[in-house]
Amino acid sequence: MAKNLSGDLQVASANRLSDGVVVWLGDAGEWTTRLDRAAVARDSRAGEILLLRARVEAFSVVDPFLVAVTEEEDGAIEPLSLREKIRASGLTFDAIAADAVRYA
Amino acid sequence: MPDTFFYHYDAYDRTLVSERVDQFRDQVRRRLAGELTEEQFKPLRLTNGLYLQLHAYMLRIAIPYGTLSSRQLRKLAEISRKYDRGYGHFTTRQNLQLNWIKLEDAPDALAALAEVDMHALQTSGNCIRNVTADHFAGAAADEIEDPRIWAEIVRQWSTLHPEFTFLPRKFKIAITGSPNDRAAVRVHDIGLRLWRNDAGEVGFEVIVGGGLGRTPMIGKTLREFLPKNELLAYLEATLRVYNRYGRRDNLYKARIKILVHEVGVDKMRADVEAEYAETRDGLLGLSNETIEAITRQFAPPPLPHRSAFVPDVERQKFEDAAFALWLKSNTAPHWMAGYRIVTASLKPAGAPPGDASAVQMEGVADIADAFSQGELRVSHEQNLIFPHVAMEDLPAVYAALGRLGFAEANVGKITDIIACPGLDYCALANARSIPVAQRISNHFSELARQHDIGDLKIKISGCINACGHHHVGHIGILGVDKNGVELYQISLGGDVDFGKTALGTILGPAVTADKIVEAVDALVTTYLDARAAGERFVDTYRRIGAQPFKERVYATV
Repeated sequence: MAKNLSGDLQVASANRLSDGVVVWLGDAGEWTTRLDRAAVARDSRAGEILLLRARVEAFSVVDPFLVAVTEEEDGAIEPLSLREKIRASGLTFDAIAADAVRYA
Repeated sequence: MPDTFFYHYDAYDRTLVSERVDQFRDQVRRRLAGELTEEQFKPLRLTNGLYLQLHAYMLRIAIPYGTLSSRQLRKLAEISRKYDRGYGHFTTRQNLQLNWIKLEDAPDALAALAEVDMHALQTSGNCIRNVTADHFAGAAADEIEDPRIWAEIVRQWSTLHPEFTFLPRKFKIAITGSPNDRAAVRVHDIGLRLWRNDAGEVGFEVIVGGGLGRTPMIGKTLREFLPKNELLAYLEATLRVYNRYGRRDNLYKARIKILVHEVGVDKMRADVEAEYAETRDGLLGLSNETIEAITRQFAPPPLPHRSAFVPDVERQKFEDAAFALWLKSNTAPHWMAGYRIVTASLKPAGAPPGDASAVQMEGVADIADAFSQGELRVSHEQNLIFPHVAMEDLPAVYAALGRLGFAEANVGKITDIIACPGLDYCALANARSIPVAQRISNHFSELARQHDIGDLKIKISGCINACGHHHVGHIGILGVDKNGVELYQISLGGDVDFGKTALGTILGPAVTADKIVEAVDALVTTYLDARAAGERFVDTYRRIGAQPFKERVYATV
């Protein structure tokens, strides 16, 4: 069961400069490709501070921004919006493989 | 195999492209070193076709007027394999998008493109974008003149045009040389239609102010008949008027269609003609020598005489129903007897529309070499075309395409869906497009049923920017986001056929993603119940109106 659906919880995200890969800001100020390692801001003030931190650490990423997330009882977090879910999880269909001659 | 029968880059073109690669390599180096901010760098990468999407950088590669050689397609396959994930997406502007490019690799990818006279210029920014043209250009039986000659002339004029690099908004030009408009010229900023007047002269109808997106509009005729050698001077005058009066205060009102709508086509015409009177005798008049020099480069390939009646083809038509359907839907009349234009469907059942793997691209290139003079076209409907296939080679081409998964006999049918990348890739999208297309495609995959339904164009966009051309789909589907939920708005009656160009009308409330297939099925059932002999879906819609469709859809979903 989701613990928080209000959108108060936020993480900072961006795309990595060198390859565009989706990253989140971790507790230690590092950019990580793992959402489960993202630092979670638990109120709007903490969100503002998290975004400021992300901007300070933005040398290796592009345009940091805040993403509203939910948190499960086991601590797992998930973005609220479909767009951010897709950013976190990837395509919602199977892309054709390089050596494929047929889709599926 | 020669590098085909279309424009060959000269030293000037090659220098321009290679200098641009060097310039961008240095810009990327400076960005990665922190010497450029993203704000400084973004316009530089965009002018080199490099967008930042949801998951990665996307490189939009220009395929001017949709013309490709087999050698170029092989290079695209190689680049997709080496610098991307081994597949690419052919777009509704006849371009190719690679969705997983690394910034650090982008200059190398562009350098590889330059090896085959390709680039990513004019694929972004408020400039004159890559010119599009009829995908049957140079091969169609109904063609008056090859529009690529004029598309190339426009390309040379527009590339890095200093006056038109910072227009109020992007500017798209499409050209058709046929009375059957396959280039959608009435929904472009400028559409050019070659036609022959009563005196037997060929010139352009100049259409202005069409477009899709947030404010869809059908273009209006600015000049009924423009002599061909006046083309560039007249375009220059039109662009100057737009550049001067087009709105820069509001992004959503900046396209030329808004200017034409606000001032009226008569005032627009008067302003253009006044500007033209000042400049028509300047440097942009096209000499016969210039036109002939370009025309020679688009000379038809030497096509040996071939029989128009091939017993083996006739026999296979009777023995293989799928082949017979394929001949009917995926081949079109060629100007030379004994030849057909063949469309490779990049829409096999359930596949992402317009996607091709590296192996498939290489396979298509092999077929082009063996059976179509090494030439290919990309259609704005996201398929690939072999322009010159001898009828006796049709069984072999069909078999070869079948091995690639591109022999689906569905061109122009309900599963030949146009779809933008949508929310799975695109930073602008509000809703997904590709999964919707896949589900509709799977639902209607049975070929006999598709052919019974007949010609029906479904076009899907994931946002109001309308890259999926939903406004002009017989059935248009627009994805919207309402409070975090994907909804799909259906419109009916859109069309880009010449003389019948129309924007679709919204049917009613948007439907949820899980109901969209049922809604399309209800539309098709309504049509099948009501159609008169020979009527396409859109004909029946025009005859009976929206109400029966509306009643069935909303009773179903």
